[in-house]
Amino acid sequence: MIKVVNVSKTFKTGGKEVKALNNVSFELEKGKIGALVGHNGAGKTTLIKILSTLIIPDSGDAYINGYSVTKQEKEVRRNIGTMMVSERAFYYRLSGFDNLVFFGIIQGLSVSEAKRVANEVLELVGLSEWKDVQYMKYSTGMQRKLALARALILDPPVILLDEPTLGMDVVSSRDFRSLIKVISKEKTILLTSHNMKEVEDLADKIIVLKRGNLIAEGSKEDILAKLGKVKLVSVRDVPRGFDKYVVGYDNGIFFLRVPESESISGNVIKEESPTLEDVFVYLMGEEIDSTRNKSRRGGWRRRVE
Amino acid sequence: MEKTSGVIDKLYAYIYLRGFKIWSSYRTQMILNVLSWALPVFTYYFVGTSLGGNLVEKIGVPDYTAFVVIGLAFQGYVSSIITTISQRLRNEQVYGTIEYYVLSSGGVVSFLFYSVLWGFVINTISAGVTLSIGLILKVHYDVNLLTTFIIILLLLLSTIGFSMISAGFTMMVKQGNPIAFFFSTFTTLMSGTVFPVTILPTPVKDVSLAIPLTWALNGLRLSMLSGEGVIQLANIIGVLILFNVILLPLGIGFYSYSFKRARKKGTLSEY
Repeated sequence: MIKVVNVSKTFKTGGKEVKALNNVSFELEKGKIGALVGHNGAGKTTLIKILSTLIIPDSGDAYINGYSVTKQEKEVRRNIGTMMVSERAFYYRLSGFDNLVFFGIIQGLSVSEAKRVANEVLELVGLSEWKDVQYMKYSTGMQRKLALARALILDPPVILLDEPTLGMDVVSSRDFRSLIKVISKEKTILLTSHNMKEVEDLADKIIVLKRGNLIAEGSKEDILAKLGKVKLVSVRDVPRGFDKYVVGYDNGIFFLRVPESESISGNVIKEESPTLEDVFVYLMGEEIDSTRNKSRRGGWRRRVE
Repeated sequence: MEKTSGVIDKLYAYIYLRGFKIWSSYRTQMILNVLSWALPVFTYYFVGTSLGGNLVEKIGVPDYTAFVVIGLAFQGYVSSIITTISQRLRNEQVYGTIEYYVLSSGGVVSFLFYSVLWGFVINTISAGVTLSIGLILKVHYDVNLLTTFIIILLLLLSTIGFSMISAGFTMMVKQGNPIAFFFSTFTTLMSGTVFPVTILPTPVKDVSLAIPLTWALNGLRLSMLSGEGVIQLANIIGVLILFNVILLPLGIGFYSYSFKRARKKGTLSEY
């Protein structure tokens, strides 16, 4: 179980103070998968590193299976497996197997235990055939799988994954998600991601961060409900009286978020239910400002492309 | 999962896997390393030979080849281990592995300790090569094993202290480590490696006496070439113990502080 209580963290960069996390609190129950979402710089990695005891919070505390990350670091470290976003973090000239044995030993396993566990986790992540190949010859997908294998070496109850599918192709990414699902049967997992499809597919609970503030949390249904009962409609011309529903524009097509109770006629290209990505764009405040008819960052545009 | 790794397991990981396996995977570097250990001995041998016995004796060195062989064999323990540790720490930051050491069961102190041991292993091989070349060049050894062992151990401990201070600087300033710079450039000049410190100008000589290596080399020459025992070298051993009493707590304190500071600032993996 993960519990975050009023955690704040400010960094000083170039003489400026940047509030990375501001009074963030949430809980993730045992055996659930949680997803931290938000833009770059929203505070996701900072929070993962605080939970891993790699960064000390300015105030507040967090608990991993009841252990405080500020007061019981050793106990916390015994209860977590981490996968950081760094692409390197292994020894390039050692094989995948030797890397796992090395990290297993420094985490406290004997040589024979480390070798046995390394074989087991390599089998689990599907890298057994590649175990004796040098890490530098691994593809990105294989490197991420090996990083996950390392997180599982001590069979910890809590797994923290920072952008686990970063840089992976579609197939590897789907493969990896299946793997996380298999692992999640016995563990509590908190991951960060920019991929809403991934979040939708995996997460029991979604935590949305915006500039260090927690702005929404809940199940997929809870987050979708933030938009209310609406449908998303694409039209070439906006019917009279529907201007107030315009939330996007791209290449001659208007995107409208219309209450389900309203019916819209003529020129309708597409009508669909909102996805998590739509809600995310809405929560981030990046839709078109219909009062000024000026697009900000065009989250809707991504849907069309 | 129950954790049971001990010293032997850690040695396997740090010395065999991360040390030897990676080092020996760079074949050319390995050959160049061995050459770099051997060639300076010949350089100084010919310097001593060309200067002639009388001139060298005037500075209080009856056998210059023996003097240089001991100096070169053990100077590496200090300079090489300290610079290797700083470089190691920086490499781990660049690789992104440093965070996994922080999370490991032994923590960052264990990481540094075992990294020093790899430096010790590689420099012991280096010292062995240098001393063997000394034999070829007809250096006569009269080794008091116990005294030599004690002095090397004390030298190694003081080196760990300096390594921790040096690694602390690397963690704090990332690049431009003054301790590593000092030991990689000044020890040959100031610690009596290839000439006795007695010929240095007084202020420089005083600084040289503040370096444990100066005392250790003096002691090692006496214990390895003249077979002097613990009692005869008690003053040197005492000074080295004093260095350790100061350097080890200082090193551990500064090193631990630098990591805590990095965790507060969120700069652990920055480089």
